[in-house]
Amino acid sequence: MSVTTLSDELRLIVGRDHVLDGEVDRFGYSYDSSFLPLVPAPRPDVVVRPRTAEEVSRVMALAFAGGIPVTPRGAASGRTGGSVPLHGGISLALDRMTDILEVDEGNMMVTAEPGVRTMDLHDACAARGLFYPPDPASWKFSTIGGNVAENAGGMRAVKYGVTRDYVMGLQVVLADGTLLETGGKAIKNVTGYDLTGLFTGSEGTLGVITRVLLRLIPLPKARGVLRLLFADMDAGCALVHRMLKAGIVPSAAEIMDDVSLQAVARHRRMALPAGAGCCVIIEVDGEDAAELEAQCGRIRGVAEACGCLEFKVAQDKAESDELWAVRRGLSQAVAALAPNRLGEDISVPRDAFPEVVRRIGAIAKRFDLLIPVFGHAGDGNLHPSVLCDMADPAQAERVHRAVDAIFEAALAVGGTLSGEHGIGITKRPYLAQALGEAGVRTLQAVKAGLDPKGILNPGKIW
Amino acid sequence: MSGLLEEAKALVAGCDRCGTCLTVCPLFKVRDVERSSARGKNALARGLAEGGLEPGPEVRGAVEFCLLCRACTDACPNKVPTDEAMVRVRQHLTDRAGGPTVTYRLVGAALRSRAAVGLGALALGALRRLGLLRLLPSALVPKEFPRKAFLAAFAGPAALGGEAPAATPGAHARVAYFQGCGMKLMFPDAAEATLKLLGGLGEVSAPDNPCCGLPHLAHGMKGTFLELARENIALFEEADVVVTDCASCGGALKHLADHFKDDGAWRDRAAAFSAKVLDLTEFLVRAGYRSPSRGERTFTFHDPCHLARGQGIRRQPRQLLEAAGRFVDMREADTCCGGAGTFHMDHPGTAARILARKASSIEATGAEVVVTACPGCLIQLTRAAEASGGRFKAMHISQVI
Ligand SMILES: Cc1cc2nc3c(=O)[nH]c(=O)nc-3n(C[C@H](O)[C@H](O)[C@H](O)COP(=O)(O)OP(=O)(O)OC[C@H]3O[C@@H](n4cnc5c(N)ncnc54)[C@H](O)[C@@H]3O)c2cc1C
Ligand code: SF4
Ligand code: SF4
Repeated sequence: MSVTTLSDELRLIVGRDHVLDGEVDRFGYSYDSSFLPLVPAPRPDVVVRPRTAEEVSRVMALAFAGGIPVTPRGAASGRTGGSVPLHGGISLALDRMTDILEVDEGNMMVTAEPGVRTMDLHDACAARGLFYPPDPASWKFSTIGGNVAENAGGMRAVKYGVTRDYVMGLQVVLADGTLLETGGKAIKNVTGYDLTGLFTGSEGTLGVITRVLLRLIPLPKARGVLRLLFADMDAGCALVHRMLKAGIVPSAAEIMDDVSLQAVARHRRMALPAGAGCCVIIEVDGEDAAELEAQCGRIRGVAEACGCLEFKVAQDKAESDELWAVRRGLSQAVAALAPNRLGEDISVPRDAFPEVVRRIGAIAKRFDLLIPVFGHAGDGNLHPSVLCDMADPAQAERVHRAVDAIFEAALAVGGTLSGEHGIGITKRPYLAQALGEAGVRTLQAVKAGLDPKGILNPGKIW
Repeated sequence: MSGLLEEAKALVAGCDRCGTCLTVCPLFKVRDVERSSARGKNALARGLAEGGLEPGPEVRGAVEFCLLCRACTDACPNKVPTDEAMVRVRQHLTDRAGGPTVTYRLVGAALRSRAAVGLGALALGALRRLGLLRLLPSALVPKEFPRKAFLAAFAGPAALGGEAPAATPGAHARVAYFQGCGMKLMFPDAAEATLKLLGGLGEVSAPDNPCCGLPHLAHGMKGTFLELARENIALFEEADVVVTDCASCGGALKHLADHFKDDGAWRDRAAAFSAKVLDLTEFLVRAGYRSPSRGERTFTFHDPCHLARGQGIRRQPRQLLEAAGRFVDMREADTCCGGAGTFHMDHPGTAARILARKASSIEATGAEVVVTACPGCLIQLTRAAEASGGRFKAMHISQVI
């Protein structure tokens, strides 16, 4: 089928304005927020922006008949190239499907279309006293469909878990256009395989998510934010470790090393006490101020035992927002330090956190690179950022070897390749190492069963 | 690769493609495709620079599709200056194509000609003969320039009330008024009100200055921009303070120095000039201006992009308005109105949708008058005021304080 007829057929399905096939638009849908080079751009032949599940289904049926690759796309905030249309074909942008269909207060659940922004979903629920906890740092712009497809995690994962822990059911359009409903509002559900779980984190390779049903919990009434400074990462890690062991579970515990800390300090014109080489930002929540105060008091005790240099409790909403802004702006502040940055995302058992940080420090030395580390200390997920100038070929070579070494280090301490960003394109080479041959073959068997022609997001994961 | 593309690429190097800007770009709000957003534009700049995209009419259209409003830069964690990059890319495309499009060339020529602009109504006639009338805001230029109707509709307290009392501006400073083309051409009465305000505070000169050059710069006519800049620098050499009531002129003039950094002959003169430029509101607050009387009117203020983000001036106009009447802030006060130089002429449909959002924000405040400090915005807001069927009026700040 020629490109023009494909566009025309698609226009019949979604309307003229929602099919883009000009040069500039095709380029605009060729990248995401990963660190893949922009040029050469893996352009889609055409961008389609459906409004309903039915339209998605018709688009898929058409693609299936013609054997045309389809790459689903939310907000393209993914960090591993998931929405990059590696093999051309159709870029299926779901960002026009933005309705929150139902907030079911009785069952404490929400039903939404995939293009709803995570923050909007959170706010709509919070307005009714209900809480949707997963809050990836990209929550202002990433879509809930993208979050489910990546099984995104957030700052609050240490206490509340990740996206998967809230997905109750999905509506999915399969490769041939069939509409499938999985899960439902029944809390206990063991009827057959866990299809909801299967599509969650499938990175757009098994089906297109067109509706999500999410579980909610009561909104904590009070929330407090703390900033703790330590001399080094070991002290910071020790705090997180001992705190959790003592049964204090904060809703978030974010850690950053000296380079990251300096970067944000400069970015936000913040003054720091001398000798501060590690910062931990903690959020606690609870029923009321008294409960928060009690938690803060206990954390202070542990912190002092770990040699805390400064213990700051946000006094009001503005101060809390400021402390959070420090963490949320971190990834970009670090990126601003060098022409290029390869932000990685590895996850290790919680007690291996200090060890892997030490190993990464050694890797930085060995390859003569600056590799600041920050992450979700509470859950063992960390983001080493290799700062570099990829225009320098000798350095680029060192960078690739350093990244390999980082993944090796993660696996060596019993960790995994990705805590939250998925595999996409950028981590494909390491997959077999992490899952083993049998693991990869099993994934491939599932894929072959659901997408026999291999048209859904080809080139990803393996 | 041309130096300009190289510069553009360097400017957007900090773009992490994160997507934060997607949530604030006024264009993305009305046309939510990647190319509208700053992320899309920055990628485009890089794509061009790295040879992944061929320049052509489509690319040109995409880089012209930017209000240069800087909302993205404000929200961007890395403060990527998308607007500056777009100006570079536009210039590059212009140089490559051997000059700007015919429309811009004609407007550029008209704005360069002091005579054409200075003659006001006559200039409009001339533009009409050139067939350029469609480029002018129809809401403001009906068959004949309705000076009387205009005056009646726009007379603010300052025009009705007495003279502004003399205050003490920076001890005997030689204050000069820089009159922008937009003010001269479209809002002569507001310009008069500005002169009256300034006159009430001391001696003011009003040299017959040429255009600030911003339209030329924005549309890839840098050569003309630099010529105009030199003329202005020389013209205002004697003044201690240069006051303008046009946010766009103010922004452009304050940044002139940047364009002469590597020009030994002009560097110091340009820096001295830029350093003495003040926006009217900035000047009045500094000079301790007091409104003659506090009226009962309710005002709201639309922040021109070139004032709020371009010059960091947000407090001063509000302070002046609070002293002159009742002041109510509107939602998204600093979101672009869709005027943006010639944007509203090139993309009338998009501009109208952006303006409709603005109008509903204004109406929600219940204010009788929406005040602003830039003729470009005033054109748009006047349109909105007309469409509102008299629910509110639009005025320049010099007319109401
Ligand atoms: C500054 C920044 C901070 C970030 N912080 C975090 C963080 O804290 N935690 C975290 O987990 N991630 C984080 N991310 C990564 C990213 O935001 C998440 O992966 C997010 O879930 C992607 O959502 P999206 O809507 O942008 O999806 P996209 O990037 O568009 O797509 C991601 C993948 O999902 C698929 N997909 C998208 N929508 C659908 C659908 N409806 N059906 C089927 N497949 C679909 C795509 O094909 C692709 O494979 C961050 C990214 C940035 C830029
Ligand atoms: S311009 Fe700034 S906000 Fe927009 S994508 Fe780039 S880094 Fe993010
Ligand atoms: S300058 Fe304004 S219009 Fe242009 S990309 Fe930035 S926010 Fe959008």
